Amino acid sequence: MSQHFIFLTNTRLVSLETRHGRIEARREFAVSGTGVAEFERYLAHMPPKPVHMFTDLAEEDFRLDTIPHVGKGDREAILNRKLTQIFRNTPFRFALVQGREPEGRRDDRVMYTAITNPEVLRAWTEVLDRLKVPLAGIHSAAVFSGVLLEELDLAFAHTLLVTLSPGGAMRQTYFRDGEFKFSRLTPMDLEEGQTLGSMIAEETTRTWQYLDSLRHFAEDDRLEVCVLVHRNDREAVQPALRDFAQIQYRILDIEQVSAKLGLKHPPLGSTAEEVFVHLFLVRRIENHFASAEMRRYDTLRSARLVLNRLAVGAVAASLAWGAWNVSRVFDSSDGDLLLAQQLSGVNREYEDITRSLPSFGVGGATMRDAVAFYNYAIRGFPAITDFAVSLSKVLRDHPGVRLTQISWQATDDAKAAPALSPAPLQAGAPVRAMPKAAAPGGANPASSGSVAALSSGKYEVAHVEATIRVPSNDFRAAIEQVERLAADISRTDGLQAEVIESPLDVSSSTELQGRLGTKEQGQMETRFVLRIVRERRASA
Amino acid sequence: MKQIWTTEGRRALLSSWILLALAILAGAGIVAGSHFYLAKEKRDSAGAARRVQEARARLDGARRERDSLHESADVFRTLVERGLLQGERRLDMVELVNQLRTRHQLFALDYDIAPQRVLDLSGGRVFNSVDVLASRVKLRARALHEGDVFAFMAALSHTPQGFYPVDRCVLRRVEAPTDSLQPHVEADCTLEWITLREKRSG
Repeated sequence: MSQHFIFLTNTRLVSLETRHGRIEARREFAVSGTGVAEFERYLAHMPPKPVHMFTDLAEEDFRLDTIPHVGKGDREAILNRKLTQIFRNTPFRFALVQGREPEGRRDDRVMYTAITNPEVLRAWTEVLDRLKVPLAGIHSAAVFSGVLLEELDLAFAHTLLVTLSPGGAMRQTYFRDGEFKFSRLTPMDLEEGQTLGSMIAEETTRTWQYLDSLRHFAEDDRLEVCVLVHRNDREAVQPALRDFAQIQYRILDIEQVSAKLGLKHPPLGSTAEEVFVHLFLVRRIENHFASAEMRRYDTLRSARLVLNRLAVGAVAASLAWGAWNVSRVFDSSDGDLLLAQQLSGVNREYEDITRSLPSFGVGGATMRDAVAFYNYAIRGFPAITDFAVSLSKVLRDHPGVRLTQISWQATDDAKAAPALSPAPLQAGAPVRAMPKAAAPGGANPASSGSVAALSSGKYEVAHVEATIRVPSNDFRAAIEQVERLAADISRTDGLQAEVIESPLDVSSSTELQGRLGTKEQGQMETRFVLRIVRERRASA
Repeated sequence: MKQIWTTEGRRALLSSWILLALAILAGAGIVAGSHFYLAKEKRDSAGAARRVQEARARLDGARRERDSLHESADVFRTLVERGLLQGERRLDMVELVNQLRTRHQLFALDYDIAPQRVLDLSGGRVFNSVDVLASRVKLRARALHEGDVFAFMAALSHTPQGFYPVDRCVLRRVEAPTDSLQPHVEADCTLEWITLREKRSG
């Protein structure tokens, strides 16, 4: 950042331009004559940049005071009133609160300073105002010089800092325990035979006497006089500075001081303005003398800077936000691309599968339902021929048995009773049980089935009517053979057989008739009925 | 700071205020635009993800159908060949019965074919894609031997034209001299002549 520093003394005005913490240009103007006009022309061609003005003038006055320790607002009011009372005729005035008294009410210690003759400044400030140069502040070089002692770690109880000003003047500033107490500017008009060193020695001795008269020193106190000079002037200064009990001199080589402060290009002479400017860049201090009205262009410039930075910040922040959103859009787009690839792959596979599906001119659901129906209702449906084959295998071992009727049914009801046609009464057996009113079997055998639902054919139920030939009147043998037949059937192909009409029903509830004659045949045929059930095994 | 709000200050800072306002507007526009763009992208992404999910579900269904259909394709082919999905051809049926009666030397054969109806299945089972239709057929036959009847029934069941599950049958011996050519067996049987019909075509 570029800044412009003006160092004003009673005879010279030094202009110093800095950029990035370094002094880049220096120009001096005379205070009298055409100096102001030249300065104005010079300034008119300079790009606008904030200006800091240091004053090192003989017209600067300093007063010490104490005020009650009050709140900030009240203190400001007191200080303004005091400044108005003390420095009534100048707007260039300033109060510096430096600390508090150690005893009593512990009042605030205050130093008032002002440029008592504002005319020495007015010509220059008018130039700045006319050119609308942003004046950032007007600073007292004497007050600011305390910063130099702090930066150089020169902390003594009584310090007198001696600096040389452009235009041939010597500034002596007294600090007590680091607090500014007094400052005095002396023109360097060397008399014949007087050296710079002897002049400094005389002036500092005179200052010590003055300060001593103000009772600044105790008996054992010693004033440390720090003299800032260039190496070239050291030979002319050092021999004249002789220490004694109350004063001790310390030469501050301006090149060494510059090195310690980080000033890359040390000043070429003993004047201190470049050191102060560099020090200000390192440790900025508040404005001393410039009023708000004088600083208005700098205030507007700062405001413009803030507004512009806010504008840039707003755009940058929104761009960053937008970039972040766009980056997320890119991420999302990458994801979309991946999804699109996945979708394409999935659709391709779907189409491949659809093309590869077997088609018989009907939909897949029709195909599935047709097959499901076949598996459910047709595939395992029993057939009477299978039943007959199984029964025939058993009857081969029972040659006396003669089938007369089979009523077979495929059903889901294991208790179903297929109807048999009533058998004609036979004359073969001399003794027979009379059929009950509701004997198994009816008059309408096959047609008795309803036309309702088609069964799944889980059971095959059959009523088998047959006769058996045994010796006449040997009913016991007939019953045994029939029961054996039922047992044999039950061991075959999942069939379960039971006798539901015996060759002779000997139960007490049945009417029994016997017709025994004189001539009996050797053999007789007796009727019986078996109920045979087969449950379909679950298919694998 | 008072200088900022004076007439001179306002005039001096006017361009900066305008610049700030434009910057804020531009910034708001950038933020809003990018936000809406992002929101649209998110919606598009969500839509794409949903479409992928739906496509995957459709693909899974197709895979299941493929596996299912491959298993049943052979069976279905047989069913189609046996005319299960064709309508009844009653004339073919009449000719078939006559043919089988002759082939198996039945003495007499009476039959009744009832009107076709929607067949109810046991357990109330239904199929969404097909109607099960059936015509109830009653047969009454007389034969020299029960084997002829069984052979006739078996031939009818295994004919390559439709399905004929026999669910009831009564066989009776007819008393006749064993050495005479008269019927010795009488059979009364009932069967269902089953065909299927696609519901959408109905």
